[in-house]
This record gives sequence, C-alpha cells and structure tokens, in this order.
Amino acid sequence: MFGTTKLRRLIGAAATIVVMQAPAAFAWPDGPVNYIIPFNAGGESDITARYQQPFFSKVTGQDLIVQYLPGAGGAQAWSGLNGYAGDGMTIMGTNLPHIVLQPMLQDPGYATDDITNIYMFHFTPDALLVRNDSPFQTVQDVIDAAKANPGGVIAGGTGTNSANHVANQVFANRTGTETTYIPYSGTGSTESGLLGGEVDILWGYTTVAARQADAVRMLAVATEERHPLFPDVPTFRELGIDMVGGAYRGIAVPSSTPEDLREQLSDTIAAINADPEFRARMEADGYAMADVPYARMGEFMAERKAAYEEVARQLNRQD
Amino acid sequence: MADPIGIFLTALSPVNVGLAFLGVLAGTVIGALPGLSATMAIAVLVPFTFVMDPASGLIMLGAIYTGAIYGGAFAAILVNTPGTPSAIATTFDGFPMAKRGDGDLAVTLATIASVVGGLVGAILLMTLSPRLATLALAFQSTEYFWLAILGLTLIATLSQGNVVKGMIGGMFGLFLSMIGVAVIGGDVRFTGGMPLMLGGIDIVAALIGLYCIPVLIGMVAGEGQHLEPAPARGFRLFEALGIALRDWVNLLRSSLIGTLVGILPGAGGSIASLISYAEARRASPRAEAFGKGEPGGLLATESANNATVGGGFIPTLVLGIPGTPPDAVIMGALMVQGIRTGPALFQSGDGTVYVFMTGLLVATLLMLPTGLVVGRYAFRFIANVPKAMLVPLIAYMTIVGSFAIHANPHDVLVMVVMGLIGWTAARGGYGASPIVLGLVLGQIAEQGFMRAWMIGGARGDFMGQLLLNRPISWGIVALIAATLCLPLLRRRRQGQLADVAPRQGGDVPGLVGALVFLGLAVWMILQASRLGAMAAAFPLAVAVVLAVLSVVQAVRSARGGPAPTLAPPSDDATGRGLVLGATMLGWALLFPHLGMFTTSILACMILTLTGQFGRLGLVRLCLYAMGVLIMVGAFYLLMVRVLNIPMPTGLLP
Repeated sequence: MFGTTKLRRLIGAAATIVVMQAPAAFAWPDGPVNYIIPFNAGGESDITARYQQPFFSKVTGQDLIVQYLPGAGGAQAWSGLNGYAGDGMTIMGTNLPHIVLQPMLQDPGYATDDITNIYMFHFTPDALLVRNDSPFQTVQDVIDAAKANPGGVIAGGTGTNSANHVANQVFANRTGTETTYIPYSGTGSTESGLLGGEVDILWGYTTVAARQADAVRMLAVATEERHPLFPDVPTFRELGIDMVGGAYRGIAVPSSTPEDLREQLSDTIAAINADPEFRARMEADGYAMADVPYARMGEFMAERKAAYEEVARQLNRQD
Repeated sequence: MADPIGIFLTALSPVNVGLAFLGVLAGTVIGALPGLSATMAIAVLVPFTFVMDPASGLIMLGAIYTGAIYGGAFAAILVNTPGTPSAIATTFDGFPMAKRGDGDLAVTLATIASVVGGLVGAILLMTLSPRLATLALAFQSTEYFWLAILGLTLIATLSQGNVVKGMIGGMFGLFLSMIGVAVIGGDVRFTGGMPLMLGGIDIVAALIGLYCIPVLIGMVAGEGQHLEPAPARGFRLFEALGIALRDWVNLLRSSLIGTLVGILPGAGGSIASLISYAEARRASPRAEAFGKGEPGGLLATESANNATVGGGFIPTLVLGIPGTPPDAVIMGALMVQGIRTGPALFQSGDGTVYVFMTGLLVATLLMLPTGLVVGRYAFRFIANVPKAMLVPLIAYMTIVGSFAIHANPHDVLVMVVMGLIGWTAARGGYGASPIVLGLVLGQIAEQGFMRAWMIGGARGDFMGQLLLNRPISWGIVALIAATLCLPLLRRRRQGQLADVAPRQGGDVPGLVGALVFLGLAVWMILQASRLGAMAAAFPLAVAVVLAVLSVVQAVRSARGGPAPTLAPPSDDATGRGLVLGATMLGWALLFPHLGMFTTSILACMILTLTGQFGRLGLVRLCLYAMGVLIMVGAFYLLMVRVLNIPMPTGLLP
C-alpha cells in the first residue's frame, strides 16, 4: 500500500533500534518463508507441508516455516490471503474442491478467483474404507445394504460440503443409493469414528488406508487406474461406478505477488516435486503426485470448476 | 523391545538431558505468555529436529510441550489469565491465592502438581499404552456430549449463590461457541453478515479478553498493588510439599483423570482439568473454600493438565490419531523421520520411541528446578513492579498474544470486545467463568449430540444411541448427577440452605442484564429459523433455555432478589477504567493500519500514565519510557524474528 515492503522493513529495522540483519539482496527468498496451512496440524495438508520442508531448504537454502490458521474449513485463512505482503515470504496451502465449492455454496469471504494458485503438487484419491472386521467385503455389499435400508448405512467424513461429502454424494448419485452422511471436524476424529464403530463406512483418502493399514480395509479407490500402493483394490470405474476424484493440494500466494516471483516459486515447488526421495516418501504414504505449474493453472482451475458445478448444485438442494 | 539399559543411557546422555532442559525452559516461558502456544513453538522448531538424531529432536519437542502446559499456570495464577484453555480452572484458586500474597506458594504448588501429573501420564504412556488406546475408541460422539455436559455442571459450582445468573452466562457462552460455519449442516450462523466472523470466536482470544481485561480495569481503578506485596522469602517448597502430601488422593485422582481424558482425541487439557477440579471439590471436606484460594483446587487442575501430555501421546503413537494439536505436530515430525505410528511401534526393536518416552519423563522431572526458579522471579516481578509499568506490560501481552494465535488482527478485536462484554456482564452479576465454560465446551457438546442424533435417527433408535445402549455414558451421567446433587444434599444435611435475605430495592444491573440476554435469545430464535434443521437444532434449544432463564432472572431482579454475590470489579471505576478500555479498543483497531510496533509504543505510553497514581517525576518518566520501549521492542522481535509471525503491513512497523 505505502512504499515497498523492503522500505518498510528497513524502517522497521531502524525504528526498533536493535540492529537487525537488513535484507541485502533482492533475491528470493531472503529469509525463512512462512507457509500457512489453513487447517489444524495432523491432516494431509500439514503432513505434506512437513515433507516439503527439508527439500525446500535443500533447493533454496532457506527454512520453510509451517504455521496453522484453522477456521471455517479453511475459509478463514483463504479470505485473509491477499492481506499479506506479496513478497514471496508468505505462502499458503490451498485445497480443491474447497476453494471452488465454498464460494459456490455460500459467501466465505473470498471468491475462487481471489486465490492465486502457483502450483498443485499432489492429489489424494477418494477411497471407500471399512473396518477390518466389517461385514462389507465389497462395494456391492455396501450398495445392497444401502438399497435394502435407505439411509441405514452410516457414512463418515470430514466436514460439510467437503471433498468427502462430495464423494458421498457422487457415490449416491451413481449407484442410486442413499446413505446417512455424518460430518466430523477432522481426519483424526473420522478415523476414531470408523475404528470405534460409530460409522459403517468412511469416505477418506488412500492416505488413511496407508496409515491405518492394520485396522481398515479399502473397498475401492476413485482413480483412473489402480493405486500402486494398493494393487489389489479395484477402482470405482472397474466396478461400473463412474467416480474419479479426490482432493488436490497446492500452494497460493497473495495477489500482489509479482509475476516473476510467482514463476520462481512455481519452479521451486516443481524442483521439490521432482526430487526422487520426496516422491518416494509421498507415494509410500498413499499420495498421488500432481504437477500443475503456474503456467497451466488457469486451464486446470477452469476444468476443475466445471467438474464441481453439478455436485455443488446437488449439495445446495439438500439444505 | 530394545535393551532397557541402553534406552536409559541414551535418554540420559548429556545432549538429551540438555535438550530436555532447554525445551522445558522455552516451553515454560512460551506457555506463560498468553496466546503463544505449545503448537506454535513446536511447529517453529520442527525443522531443526530434522538435522538432529530423531530421539533427541523428539525429546526436545516433548519437553517444550510439557513445559508449555505447565507455564500456562503462571499467567493464570499471577494475572488471572489462562494462557491456554487447559489453565482455565487454575485461575479459580490460583489467582485468589496470589491476590492475598500467597502467589509464591501457589506457583510452587502448581509446579509440584505438574510434575506429579506429568510423571503419572508419562509412566502410563510407557507401560499401558496399547491397552489404554482402546479407550480412545470406546468414547464416541455420545460420550463426548456427556463429557461436555459434565464439564458444564461446574457452572453450578462456579456461580456461587446465583445459579440462574451462572446458567445464563453458560448459555451465552454456548451461543458464542456456535458463531461461524456450522460443522454439521454447513450453515453460516450468527455472524451478523461479517465474513470475519466465519471462523467463529477463537477460544484463546476470548479467554484472554474475558479474564484479563477486567483485571486490567481493576488495576487502574484503585491505587493499591496488583498483588499483596510479598516479603522476599524462599520457594516455600516444604510448605507446598506438605500440602501436596496431605492431599495425595486428590493429586493421584486428578492425574489419573488427566491421563484418561488426555487419551480422548479432541477432549484434551481443558476438559481434563475442569473435570478433575469438579471431582476434587466434590470429594473435599473444604468444598466451600474452592474458588476462594483453596490449594486443593490448584493441585487438581495442574496435575490433570500435565497428565494429559502423556495421555495424549497414547492415541497418537498407538492409533496414529493425535490427541491434541501439539501431538499432531509431533506426529508429523515422526512421520518425516520415517517412524510409523501404530501398535508395532511398541513391539518392534526400534528404541526411538522408548528413548523419547524416557526423555519425556526426564523433562517432567526437570520442570521442578526450572519451574521453581522461573516461578519465583515471575511472582516477585509481578508483585513488585509498579503499576505504571505492569499495566502496559500486561495489556501489551494480551494484544500481541491474541494476535499471535492466528496472526490475525480480527482476533485482537474479539479479545478486547469480549473483555469489555465480560467486564460489563460482571457488573450485573454475570461472571466470566460460566461464559468461558460454555464457549469451550459448546462445540464438543453440539457436535457430539448432533452426531448421536443423526446416527440414532439412521439406526431408528435415538435413545439407545444417546444413552440406553452406552454403558460408558451411564457412568458419566451418574457422575453428572452426583456432581449436581451431592453438594445440595450435604448442605441440606447441615441445614445450611439458608435463604439469602432479599436486598432492599431491586437488583437493577441484574435486571438490565437479564433483559439484554432475553433480547439475544429472541434474536437467536429469529436467526435460527432461517437455518437448516441440522444447524438450527442446538441454537434453538440454547435460545429457549436462555429466554426462560432470563425471564426468571428478570422477575427475581425486579423483586429485589438476591444481590449479586460476585463482588463488582471495582466501585470507583473512574475515568481511568474508561481510558483503559478506549485505549485497548483503539489499539486493536489501529495497529493493522499503523503497524504493531508504533501503535504499541503509543498505547503503552498512555497506559503508563493511566496506571500511574501520584506525581510522576521526570527521571521516573524517562525510566518508564525506556522500559516501555525495551519491552515492546523485545517482544516485537520475539514475534517477528523468532516465531516468524507475519505482521500486518501497516504505515509504519
């Protein structure tokens, strides 16, 4: 707003009397970078940010500092994104479908286009999970039970109008069934809901199946092809259910960030994504890598928005 | 399991003990500053642990966590401000003790209780983890709902004399907890159309405001010292040990409650300490002294909240379900180190986890010397610093603290507004603690109840889901009944249920308050009628209860019912109180535009003059100005340079 950030920083250094290390070069990054996660610690957004952390230092020589700004399913952080300085020193995690669905369904304090995504770096495919001792052995068992007793099969997931909620709705549409969807306030509590027997099925991701490998069974996964970590688990498409989806996670910057800095950040995240050690670690946890750089972001977002529109209309009608 | 002696030696290596000590020290300081949390400190330090030996890194993170939970006691005892929700109940008896000059004893008691609680939690973690983890799964939505209700029964205890006013406060707290996007239903509720309110009212910001602003206003309203000045004396360690030993049943019970509640993901320290406080009071022969500076209350809450540290690691390590936010950060650090959580962790030959747990034990023991020394200086400082310095210092802490929670100026405004509301409500006899209980427990109660309702509906057996088929819930409901009924029975037996003599004339502030709350209830009902059924059910229930209670209270107040037994914060709240309130409000509104550093210097100068009684010499003025500059600068740098909290981009720094 007033003067450049560099100038403000210099004034800051002078005014606080204490001699601080004034930013010398204009190269990015010239200090530790804040990485704001719009959720609580412990979820997929946090874990993957933690995985990026050491590689970020390797690529840039600076620390990446993860901070949490949970609230309103991420909306609190996203609505404040453009208030930060666009100097590349503050970046924020973004999630799809959240940043598309939230503005479609209500006014969350930001519009989808307010968010300047610079890279989408991975994807967690939707997965249908049951307990190890569940009577449901296949997706067909679930469909049969839901048809025999509409609404009697209880499905858990994180939040309302979330990726899990969308998955449950799409599943119901494609199979002509009806389930009762129970929203939880975080991945951790959905897992204890499933393991403790409160819900019959859980809409989660491949990552939950990987982490809870001893306790849960994955019935199907919403990818085009089988997930390399779970070669025995069929895709929904193989079962005749047209369902491919999940949650994308990426990084966004304040809208005041200059173009060249956006490019540079995009290249940095791409370099982390290209590291074989990083990929191996992500894939071992059940993540699927994605590589959508800044240059292709417009096209990608347009395609995703179109895909979520139908579901958004249905979720709206339910209320 | 790996070789126990090897594990012991590794955990006790000089490097690991040194890291544990540093962690406890840093954690204690962070925890003592309201708004700065263990989660934040741990999150900042995680990258450093990548270059350390995994066990050493984990020991340091665990030490920070346990130190921070303990450090919360300082602010609670010395300035009546719980830095974390787990220290809420510590204010009940800790602050009255400090007020009467026993702050050093209170700090030492809190230290002993924290060490005992921490040890019990850590030992249970090491020995019984896989077994106890099943408890986390046995507690489902229904049980969380009843646990929250058990916590809410404390309102009856805390409202001292006027239960109706206490319950109105509790309902108001429940209302506050519902602001924002409903987790169940997804509707936007009670935001008044402001997008900033979508995230709801932050509990920590509200805690700081509700408890600390009235203290600040009280400080500038009168000339006396903030705390009774204390003579320089020792730690009062033996006196405290004596008290703790006499009350060992309480200490042990509270530590066990803390560990068990800590195991429940999402319940955490606040519920643990509230429940153990309620249980301690119920079992104590000195129940009437609770809330007035009873050491037993302090022992109960402080042992319980540190026991949740060990308890919280149990589901984290065994089930991969983090018990608390700091646990989640530590779990992330574990995963980055390539350590998989799960039952296998306790059976495999990998000693890292055992080294970590032993390190946690060591860190807990190190709290004793660290805490005693830090606590002694903190108490002496708070008790002896002149008000002209103390008022701006504490006010600055509340501002930066509430900003630091989310690096969001909105939280600062919420803090100040909640503080002013709390102060005003207290004038009408509506105390802050019931409001806080409602706010902290509201979400747990609502979500637990709504899930049980939806699941019960889908299974066609609502009552079975809510109570009949849930043996654990029977136990909690029995405890609720006991907590509510036993004190009444006891009093009746002693024939002490004396009617409070009606006061001459009406209770005008109480009446005004009741009418305001009645208006709020009507507004809630109007608003709720526009929401979906899932999001409207709980607000409607709360609004109806609030309306009924407000009418009852209005009638009682008009008839000159019992006078407010809560002491009014100060009778001569002169212009100084107003200046303080206005300064805080202006501070919160201005700093995002003018810059945190500049605004804080200006506001602190005003508050120095507000807190100064008597003539101010030039030398002293310069000294104060210097103090303000150093203090504001030091914390500004701590926030920006050490904790990396992004500051709003204002005109000036």
